[in-house]
Amino acid sequence: MFGYVRPALARLTPEQRQAYQALYCGLCHTLGQQYGPAGRFLLNFDFTFLAALLSAGGRTAERRCIASPLRRRPAVEPCDALVLAADLSVILSWHKLADAAADSAFPKREGCRAARGVLDRAYRRAAERRPAFAGHTQEEMDRLSALERQRCASLDEPADTFASLLGGIALELPDPLQRRIFSQLFYHLGRWIYLVDAVDDCREDAAAGRYNPVLLRFGADGGALREEDKAAMALTLDASIRQMAAAYELWDFGIWSPHIQSAVYEGLYRVGNAVLEGRFHADRRRGRLAGKKEQI
Amino acid sequence: MKDPYQVLNVPSTASDEEVKKAYRELARKYHPDNYHDNPLADLAQEKMKEINEAYAEIQKMRGTGRRAGAGQGTGYSRTSQGYGGYSAAGDPAFVRVRMAIQQGDLQTAEGMLEQISTRNGEWYFLKGSICYRRGWMDEAHSCFETACSMAPDNLEYRQALERLENSGQAYRPEGFEVFTTGCGGGNLCGAMACAYCLCNLCGYGGMRFWI
Repeated sequence: MFGYVRPALARLTPEQRQAYQALYCGLCHTLGQQYGPAGRFLLNFDFTFLAALLSAGGRTAERRCIASPLRRRPAVEPCDALVLAADLSVILSWHKLADAAADSAFPKREGCRAARGVLDRAYRRAAERRPAFAGHTQEEMDRLSALERQRCASLDEPADTFASLLGGIALELPDPLQRRIFSQLFYHLGRWIYLVDAVDDCREDAAAGRYNPVLLRFGADGGALREEDKAAMALTLDASIRQMAAAYELWDFGIWSPHIQSAVYEGLYRVGNAVLEGRFHADRRRGRLAGKKEQI
Repeated sequence: MKDPYQVLNVPSTASDEEVKKAYRELARKYHPDNYHDNPLADLAQEKMKEINEAYAEIQKMRGTGRRAGAGQGTGYSRTSQGYGGYSAAGDPAFVRVRMAIQQGDLQTAEGMLEQISTRNGEWYFLKGSICYRRGWMDEAHSCFETACSMAPDNLEYRQALERLENSGQAYRPEGFEVFTTGCGGGNLCGAMACAYCLCNLCGYGGMRFWI
């Protein structure tokens, strides 16, 4: 996952923002506790959001860390949901690095391989703990590679692989009702992430001659999308966000409800818009994605 | 039965107006239109039933209901139309596909659809419905477009296409108006202009940065 999923922080109260910061710190501590210092480097917004979806709450404690060695900061205590989020983060990151290594040329390829090598032990441990999800992820990644080789020109088909992959997180949940709702929510979250990432990579992929379903779907060889292509892309992205919102409304997400609500009714639309207009990376640097001032 | 006030998420001391407002908001949220062709539609329907019953119960307790079962009679209780309602008189092969879609058996529906050689508006509409349920929104859109161009007078096909295109029509909590694109055409522009005016009215200019 790539750091696209974030709540619209401007929609949240200072307390809610602080709670999300504590979740971010809590996931970092959990990654460190479960997988050692290397695990901490996997932390990003998407995985924090994943942790919010999976945990309805959690006790908070004041803790020091490398980023804040003197002042103790509130962090959600490691719990089952955070451990699950940490395991999923490791599995997803390892596959992402493997995929990036296969797609890239020297020297990036070597960098990705080295990073994946560092994660190998962590991956084996996570896969042992979550065999169903790890197996499912491998299958979907293989399916995606096959579609990439065929240079599949559909948006939905390759997106379906990553969507089903994330939908597989539901396999790790015990309650059948929760499984049903989450599998729909994660499917569309995965679909949205895959497509937004594909749009974001358009120029780079066009220049490198890499597979990109958005380029093939719209015949945008130069990497630039026309206005009507952007509108078609926005339509399909919005449809997935609406499905996520519809699923969100059917489950109680506890203290994280306002954060998830702000993402599925605003944050994702903002990010999608910024990516389509080619402003995402600049906006992220300037902290504009939160609506007003980005605090995390 | 659950406490009806809890279901509507209002204190028991809430005024009639507040109860009504809470009921309307929830009814808008779980309205069948928001869950059309959604694999979770049955769960939303259950929620809707619970909300209607809670509202009717409160009205009964307070003696404010104008008629018996007012909650059920408000027009929000309409259940999803489903398939087979409109074009059931058509080819029995298509009717069977509709039944399979309604039962959520998409694989069977798709298999049966592929067997049908008549590629008319109905075929593309059903194909689009299967894609939509699966979450294959791009393909669903082109199928609905083809269905509409083949049968321009068919209301059901047009509604399916409009539902997919008019993201402004779907439920959002009050105050949330950002879209992936500022102008998607059709009703979306109108909805945006309206939202923009409302935003300026209440002094919140946040969305100007984005659209």
